[in-house]
Amino acid sequence: MAGGRATGDDGDWGHAADLEDVSGRIGVVGVGESDHSKASGRTATECALSAIERALEDAGLEPGQIDGIMFLRHGEHVDAAAFHAHFGTSHDIWESGEGGGMRWAATAPHAAARAIAAGRAKYVVNSFAVAWATQRGEMTGGPGQSHAHEHFKQNAEVPFGWFPQPVYFATIARRHMHEFGTTQEQLGEIAVALRYNANHTAGAVMRDRPLGLEEYLASPPIADPFRKEDCCLISDGGGAQIFAPLERAADHPKPVVEVAGVGLGRSHAGAYWSQQGAFTSTPQVFAAPAGFAMAGIGPDDVDVLTAYDPFTIVSLMQIEDMGFCEKGAGGEFVSGGHLRFDGGGLPYNTHGGLLSHAYVLGIAHVVELVRQLRGEAEGHQVKDARVGVYGGYTGSEASTLVLRRR
Amino acid sequence: MHEHFPLPDASFAPLRPFWDAAATERLVMPYSARHGRIAWYPDDESDRYDWREVSGRGSLYSWAVVTHAFLPQYRDLLPFATGLVALEEDPSVRLVSLIVDCDPAQLAVDQPLEVVFRPLRFAGVDGEQMAPHFKPAG
Repeated sequence: MAGGRATGDDGDWGHAADLEDVSGRIGVVGVGESDHSKASGRTATECALSAIERALEDAGLEPGQIDGIMFLRHGEHVDAAAFHAHFGTSHDIWESGEGGGMRWAATAPHAAARAIAAGRAKYVVNSFAVAWATQRGEMTGGPGQSHAHEHFKQNAEVPFGWFPQPVYFATIARRHMHEFGTTQEQLGEIAVALRYNANHTAGAVMRDRPLGLEEYLASPPIADPFRKEDCCLISDGGGAQIFAPLERAADHPKPVVEVAGVGLGRSHAGAYWSQQGAFTSTPQVFAAPAGFAMAGIGPDDVDVLTAYDPFTIVSLMQIEDMGFCEKGAGGEFVSGGHLRFDGGGLPYNTHGGLLSHAYVLGIAHVVELVRQLRGEAEGHQVKDARVGVYGGYTGSEASTLVLRRR
Repeated sequence: MHEHFPLPDASFAPLRPFWDAAATERLVMPYSARHGRIAWYPDDESDRYDWREVSGRGSLYSWAVVTHAFLPQYRDLLPFATGLVALEEDPSVRLVSLIVDCDPAQLAVDQPLEVVFRPLRFAGVDGEQMAPHFKPAG
């Protein structure tokens, strides 16, 4: 909706979707991740199936018990046919292409709750995977591709070098610095804290690669004010979650984690960051209050936060927009190791996030939350974590998922 | 992807008046017939647009200084400053452009800019396209 572009910072640049209250209806009974790696020769489908197998094992379920499947329709995905082909099953499976990672990693549970309530399924698996590290050599796929194909970007932005995402978000970061006094060091604090968290997480791509603030500051800019450490990894891997009615969740071996709230916010400027009225904000401004209200919580109740973090500035903006601090105070808020899993502040992207764990577009952020709430986050466990929140983001949309340990 | 990517695609109708005018060193923007304001990007099929020449003055909303070739075709341009120009006629409209004739380290948010026309050329791509760039005003 670019022709009817957004009109400023006065709150009319987006809105919250009106979502049915599904609080307390379903739980997460299984989670799994494939191995995460640099270029591995694996396909995205192989990664997704590996994650699903591990989620089934985690839940103590057989493939024949899965009767709902969610995936993101565009891109490589595991639908019912692919599931059957892999597991040798043939039963009826409810399908939805409105699942996957990014903002859908938060809203898939909402759709799953509705399908379960309508009697369409009892056990719904949502999965997402990419093999962009492997594909990078062939110049196929990857985060920039869809933007290069979008006609207005291709004809009014790409010719002027304003492409791809690191350039968009470096531009947003500079404006944030101007408006709020955010500093390069404060962006670095985010990169350093997430690397610290990844250093304590088995399976994180950057597990063995420490990063200090001085090293961050000495790293050469690639799209000033960004260094490569401000940008997400490119990696191969996937993740999966299995949802079930809450009353069934108690029958599974692991502690019960319920879906307590879901919110969805939309920007009226669509995916044209160049034209977004509230240039230094995200639609979390709309999503988070809705998700928190459904769960009956506020930011102070959150024990662990994971959010979609393609760039340091996107973490900073979402932390502000979700209400963990005042707008513009994010730079100060993230400083001093405040985001470390053991920093005594807001434990954030405790697995290392897209910056240092793996670039699987948010699906592993939800796996991580469930592990934290179950007390299974070996090496990086947040003490007494009971309420966990995931913030999803695609630019034009943001989403909020609240999970609670029963 | 069209053959001359990342040059603009002349067959993309909604922005053709912009690029046709740029070829003759004029900056035109689409005014919505419905509400009389610049509509950028002009992709609403229910609206009609009156393409009018604008002053070419604006201010620097924000920018990035690119030192890495995110596309191989950008290679010969490095380093370059690319960003958003808030137009004088309506500062909520942000034109993406290259910022030229400046030391990128000396650029400042909200500083006045003026249009200057230069050809766009890319490594390994045949042809060129005259395009509005912006430089510090004065």
